[in-house]
Amino acid sequence: MEADIVVDAKFKSCPGPLILLAEAVSKAKPKQVVLLQATDPAAPSDIREWVSSVGHKLLDVKKVDDRYEIYVEVSG
Amino acid sequence: MPKIAIIVASEKLDKLFPAITLTTTAAISGWDAELFFTFWGLLALKRGYEPSDVSLDYQKYSGKLSEALASGSMPGWRSVLEQGLATGKVKIYACSTSLGLFGLKTDDLEKYVDSVVGAATFLGKAKNADVTLFIS
Repeated sequence: MEADIVVDAKFKSCPGPLILLAEAVSKAKPKQVVLLQATDPAAPSDIREWVSSVGHKLLDVKKVDDRYEIYVEVSG
Repeated sequence: MPKIAIIVASEKLDKLFPAITLTTTAAISGWDAELFFTFWGLLALKRGYEPSDVSLDYQKYSGKLSEALASGSMPGWRSVLEQGLATGKVKIYACSTSLGLFGLKTDDLEKYVDSVVGAATFLGKAKNADVTLFIS
């Protein structure tokens, strides 16, 4: 999957990954895809909850080696 | 949108971290957050306050926390708070009684403090909250 913006939140613990993702999403354009890379085990469920509260779309969550790759499409 | 109301009654790092983490997470999720800093919690609103320590009970973990902060794996509580304040969804209230207790004036408090209030005012703001916490 292609991402327009990549956010590196590896080795950041909660709430770091969500804050970095929210910041990137707020600067992105509608329909852009943001890829969040995170090692925090809470990231997949936290991001899933967050996108459902704020109305973005969770496209995919992959486990790649020791990290998660979480794809979010910006609403608009 | 949901609302979280938190009473922060301690200025120690081990209390500020969970309070501020939940506040900012709520705010960036579109929630409203109302925080009432009372008794020793009020000390955290003193301008330029930089807590260096955890509560006595948790002193043996103090080094772990410093390491996590120094490595950047854990963001500092103040930067997390600033992210929450930037959403405009966070309101910070200082307890008037505690202000008197510590001999402080409104001018001694951080600029982001919305107002100095009493218990009744905070209860009025918190009564419709979906999540209510007392952190001490």
